[in-house]
Amino acid sequence: MNISLELLLATPFIGGLLTFIGGKVHRWVRFTVAFVFSFLTLVEAFLYYNSTIKGVEWGSLFGSKLILQTNSITWLFMFIVTGISLLIILFSISDMEEDHQKLDSYYMQLLFVEGAMLGIVLAGDLITFFMFWEIMSWTSYFLIVHGGKKSVAAGYKYIIMSILGAYAMFIAIAMIFARAHSLVYADVAVLFSHSSATFVIWTTALLCIGFFVKAAVMPLHTWLPDAHSEAPSPVSPLLSGVLIKMGAYGLFVVLYGFLSVNIAKNLMPSVFSTPILLYIIQWLAALSIVLATFLAIVQEDAKRLLAYSSVSQIGYVVLGIATGTSLGIAGGLFHALNHAIFKSLLFLAVGAVIYRTGTRNMSELGGLVKKMPVTFVALLLGIIALAGVPPLNGFVSKWMIYESLLQKREVFLLIMAFIGSTGAFLYVYRLIHSLFLGQLPKKYENVKEVPVLMQIPLWVLSVLTIVFGMMPGLAMNVIVKGMTSFGLAPIKYNLFGFPSNGMMGSLQTINIAVILMIAFVAVLIFFFLFPKTRNVKQFDNYASGQVVTEDLKYNYSYGFYMSFSRVIKPILNLSIEKVYNYWIDAAKIFGDYYMRRIYTGNLETYNSYIVIIVVIAAVAILAGGKLW
Amino acid sequence: MVKIVLLAIFMPIFTFTVGLSFMMIKRKIVARIQRRYGPPIIQPLYDILKLLSKKDNISHGVIFSLGPIIAIAGSILTIFFIPIPGLHLMTGSGDLIALLYIMAIGSLGMALGAGDAANPNASIGISRALTLMFGYDLPLVIIVIAVILHYHTTDLSAIVAAQSNGHWALWSLPLSAIVGFVVTYGAMGEHPFDIVTAPHEVATGPMVEYGGKHLAFLMINHAFHIYIEIALFVDLFLGGASNIVIFYIKMFAVFFIMMMFDEVLPRFKIDDAVRFYWKWPTVVALISLIIVLVK
Repeated sequence: MNISLELLLATPFIGGLLTFIGGKVHRWVRFTVAFVFSFLTLVEAFLYYNSTIKGVEWGSLFGSKLILQTNSITWLFMFIVTGISLLIILFSISDMEEDHQKLDSYYMQLLFVEGAMLGIVLAGDLITFFMFWEIMSWTSYFLIVHGGKKSVAAGYKYIIMSILGAYAMFIAIAMIFARAHSLVYADVAVLFSHSSATFVIWTTALLCIGFFVKAAVMPLHTWLPDAHSEAPSPVSPLLSGVLIKMGAYGLFVVLYGFLSVNIAKNLMPSVFSTPILLYIIQWLAALSIVLATFLAIVQEDAKRLLAYSSVSQIGYVVLGIATGTSLGIAGGLFHALNHAIFKSLLFLAVGAVIYRTGTRNMSELGGLVKKMPVTFVALLLGIIALAGVPPLNGFVSKWMIYESLLQKREVFLLIMAFIGSTGAFLYVYRLIHSLFLGQLPKKYENVKEVPVLMQIPLWVLSVLTIVFGMMPGLAMNVIVKGMTSFGLAPIKYNLFGFPSNGMMGSLQTINIAVILMIAFVAVLIFFFLFPKTRNVKQFDNYASGQVVTEDLKYNYSYGFYMSFSRVIKPILNLSIEKVYNYWIDAAKIFGDYYMRRIYTGNLETYNSYIVIIVVIAAVAILAGGKLW
Repeated sequence: MVKIVLLAIFMPIFTFTVGLSFMMIKRKIVARIQRRYGPPIIQPLYDILKLLSKKDNISHGVIFSLGPIIAIAGSILTIFFIPIPGLHLMTGSGDLIALLYIMAIGSLGMALGAGDAANPNASIGISRALTLMFGYDLPLVIIVIAVILHYHTTDLSAIVAAQSNGHWALWSLPLSAIVGFVVTYGAMGEHPFDIVTAPHEVATGPMVEYGGKHLAFLMINHAFHIYIEIALFVDLFLGGASNIVIFYIKMFAVFFIMMMFDEVLPRFKIDDAVRFYWKWPTVVALISLIIVLVK
């Protein structure tokens, strides 16, 4: 352990600056520097595996110490941040080639966001946390607006909502500072343990507003579908996979670092043996799960579909973290890791399709499985993991969350969690069907598989979905160790799954995978015993006697769930954005009304203003400044 | 070890036989209700053998061919998780909640294969299948939660064991059992829920492009599917059974009642099917869940 935390934190920032300078020399210098530095950051972060450092002082501000610290939970998030960032830089080299001028700043911002997120997870006090939080917001805003015209409006919405969230956080931090005169996590925890319920609820709620804007928990999610879909292809996975997890990390620190379930129970009434604050958070998360699932089902834009699915999946993370039981928290944190893996995989796979075809409108695509098999397999593994089907990773973490809700008998939240998962089947099938199955349009007949550099991230992430699905113990080692350092009881687990415990049955995903593979091979052999198959063209097709030709669009992909969207129409008509826009309009009218009283647009009024000012000034001068 | 391997080979064969026997009897029952004589009783077996021995098997691509294979592999995996009398091979590997999602593996394979057929009828069929599944899944998860909370375990074999000696969940959770029957009925795709295959509308939907040995594999999978749905219902609500004969009789009774409904009902519109499931079955299931919670 020779590398200090300061150096780890500085690496991506130094790398970012060097990348910017290197880009002036040659584009390969730029790429090499960006790659080397993000790789270095990953290696340095890995060195902290299994180590706990209580606090390294790196400065002080307003008499409060600035602290960096690390533990296993930090390491889990460092792993997500550094790992995904590295893969995204690899993916960017092929994907973002069009404009050299802007690319220098693009890579710099990419590394800065990585550094800022590392700063957030390494922070040991709220000032450091808030500083890096703001750096993250601004640099990610610049990344979003790289995506062309529409992305500017999306980025604007994102930064406005981020600023509002940051204000809420800032007020909470100021409230804490006024009482504790220190913002180090340990001191805040001490303050919370002997404060009134009102103070704790207000500060926690204000901090949560900041986190929920970033984590896109409903009703603060409205920036996400725009920003995630309009951002450049390699930035979307960074936003969806990693950046929104910072909100979940903040929530975890506040709920279990500052507050603990026992303190919270003493301070406020409980529902289903959950403190009411946590219970409200659980409901917000559950509503996010269900409503965002419904919205994802009716999308026509592949990236927008994935963006809504992110809102839904982050709901599972927040729901798990807010359960307050060890199993639920472990499930929530594990789902944060899993979601980072499979959502990055999905966004990159869709990005690969956009790279080759130039569109993300699902009804224009189709039949690409024969042209881009690697991307197809990557997307397939991603959707299996996302839908929570065993034996891949998304299933295991969702299963833990279901079991924890069952043990707490929180049946309504559990029903909503189940529904979100079933709804996921609908939209993920829609995604893979519209992109890869069905008829291949003629204009995409010469589409090729993406270059190897773009395939590497897809391969790595695909393997990770399998590894963490069959060996959840690998992640549990880190998560459970980190949870014990936060004073939470450990859960029972082994490398391949979970033993049965009380009401909970046991789970061994590796057995499921092995039996499935054996059954698959057996059936495959049985299949080959019978006469060979003959491949036919896609137009050699049943069409009630009609001859299918290339000019006839013989494909079903627009409005894939038309009949279902009729069923959920009353829900789709609800929109929190309408409420926000109503208030924006109200503010505008209010502003207009009073502004118009002053700026009437009438020249005489303006002249009279000038006269009045001149008279006042003259009187003031004549009075020799003794007017007051 | 040898015993386990032998049992693992025996299970799919037994399951297929049971499912196939139901397919055979169904043809006869349908014919009698329609006052026909009906085909020979082993007609479905003839059909499968005929399709398997076709010389020319048409395929639209690798995924198209893999679809039925994944479907059967998923079904075989699923049957190991459903306890039959005296046998539950995978009890330590997954519980009832895991089973709900393991059941989806086969359907996913089927959906992928049908999608690769590049025929809109198949795509519409899958869209309908998923919509219908979303419909009956809401009452399904509610009754599953009710059963789990009633028996304080998610382990399916423990749930079956708790129902021995006639303490069926049908008597202790009658409302859940009724909803469970309606859900199983929808999952079987019988009238009025045959919107997925609907021959007059989408030309058998997902199966439209399949022929030859691919179609034979889908028919084999259908036999597994019948078994899985009904065996799960029998395990959850009719207390499993003490031996295989009684298990078969219970399954047959459930299947027979379903056939009585099947032949006299017309077909739902897709959105009406979802609305139906989200209305009465959901309300009844919620009442049953609240009764369990209050107790």
